[in-house]
Amino acid sequence: MEQTTSEFEWHTGRKTPVENPAIEFVGVKKSFGRNEVLSGLDLALPEDRISMILGPSGTGKSVCIKHMVGLLYPDDGDVLVHGESVPSMPDDDLFEMRKKFGVLFQDGALFGSMDLYDNVAFPLRQHTDKGEEEIADIVNRRLKEVGLTESGDRMPNELSGGMRKRAGFARALVLDPDIVLFDEPDSGLDPVRTALLCELIQEIHAENGGAYVVITHDINSARRVAEYIAVLWRGKIVESGPATELFESDNAFVKQFLSGESHGPLGME
Amino acid sequence: METSIGGPRQWLEATGAMLRFCFRVMGEVYGLKVFRYFGEALRQAGILILSSTLVIWSLIFIIGLQCGIEGAYFNRSVGSPAYAGVFAAWCDLRELVPYSFGYMMAAKVGTGIVAELGSMRISDEIDALEVMGVPSMTFLCSTKLLAAWMVLPFVYLSGVGAGFLASYLAVVQQIGEVSSGGYQLIFWAFQNPPDLLYSVIKGMTMATVIVLVGCYYGYNASGGPVGVGTATAKSMVVNIVLVHIIGMLGTQLFWGANPRAPIGG
Repeated sequence: MEQTTSEFEWHTGRKTPVENPAIEFVGVKKSFGRNEVLSGLDLALPEDRISMILGPSGTGKSVCIKHMVGLLYPDDGDVLVHGESVPSMPDDDLFEMRKKFGVLFQDGALFGSMDLYDNVAFPLRQHTDKGEEEIADIVNRRLKEVGLTESGDRMPNELSGGMRKRAGFARALVLDPDIVLFDEPDSGLDPVRTALLCELIQEIHAENGGAYVVITHDINSARRVAEYIAVLWRGKIVESGPATELFESDNAFVKQFLSGESHGPLGME
Repeated sequence: METSIGGPRQWLEATGAMLRFCFRVMGEVYGLKVFRYFGEALRQAGILILSSTLVIWSLIFIIGLQCGIEGAYFNRSVGSPAYAGVFAAWCDLRELVPYSFGYMMAAKVGTGIVAELGSMRISDEIDALEVMGVPSMTFLCSTKLLAAWMVLPFVYLSGVGAGFLASYLAVVQQIGEVSSGGYQLIFWAFQNPPDLLYSVIKGMTMATVIVLVGCYYGYNASGGPVGVGTATAKSMVVNIVLVHIIGMLGTQLFWGANPRAPIGG
């Protein structure tokens, strides 16, 4: 294993400029106690693309997602969604802004007290005046897209992990969000189901458009799905840009991580 | 010096955080923001009625039997069995019905709230609510408080009736040293509508505190399933202590200066 002489030796900061980014991080710093998770993160994620934030475990990828939707606020720096600063928003504006988002959490985060149908219908019932017939049309369409048509009356604890993720995906889509976030959607899935989920993400993105942001450390998923990649390490972006450029990068860290090699700047720390 | 004040300082900080949370939840109800989610409040009210009412009545009934038995035997020992109604009236209405209501609320409703909200917290369901643009504190906590305020006065009042019935059965039917009319004459002479109101205030204050403490510990749970279990235990301890403090203060406030007994001038 190579020893780095500086903590950010591999952070070239090389990035392809993004016009009118959907989401932008500007110098974001975030600490939890003495642990600095984000150390001046600069990142712009494009509209209408499937972007992936890749990085080793524990580098702050999920913390990034939480900043995007205002569940966490930076200690320093700013987070912009379609040009609007999230930390500066009053609560009412923040709740309004969140309607632009659909989020798929790691285990689906379905509400245990409701069956699958009610889970998916929940955002529609809360935020729209649609009648139950129209809601049923939308819910059944989304359930069909994710292959869960027959499971509407089942409770979340009766579903497998993969089914919960697909249900969470359906719920994330019901309000036709502009931005969909995926927090490690492949965690806990076998390789076949991971591949199927990746295909589903691509199909639905092709139909609906929008900015999709996937947080993962699975390189195979990145190869299948990503159109834009940002590699995160030690709280900063090492490099970011179109997926094809990153997979051909000369950066030793990026090369090691995207190829899954054991030798390189990244060790077992 | 720092270590010796560390403990009390943490308690004060925790108490301050809890009070801030509780005032915020109550503010959402008083500010009527909770009515946006009135359907959820009705659902919570239904859960309270179906899952807690019978067990609360059962405990109060048993406590009522105890009040009657205690009163009857004590009055027999001092040669006045006909006055068993005095002890039963004050024991039921002023003390043991509020306490047993508080105990069962803490054990069933309070811990249930901590477990529900805590498991929602650790499985990201609360974050999912927030991300869907639904204010989680209003939807999860304020609706529970509103449901408690809608349902529990009736549960409490009917619980008082269960306690009274139990005392009657114990004194008149079981021990039988006073007639029904004789018991009821004394029983009703030693209580009046303001006493009932004070008892309801005591009970509802306990219920409010229990719901708020349960919401605080559940909403702020962390550390996985073990953390939720720890939060449940902590909430039970806090609730039991607060039930007794409220009971003591209520008795002092409502009956301390004037016991409201029809004796003498």
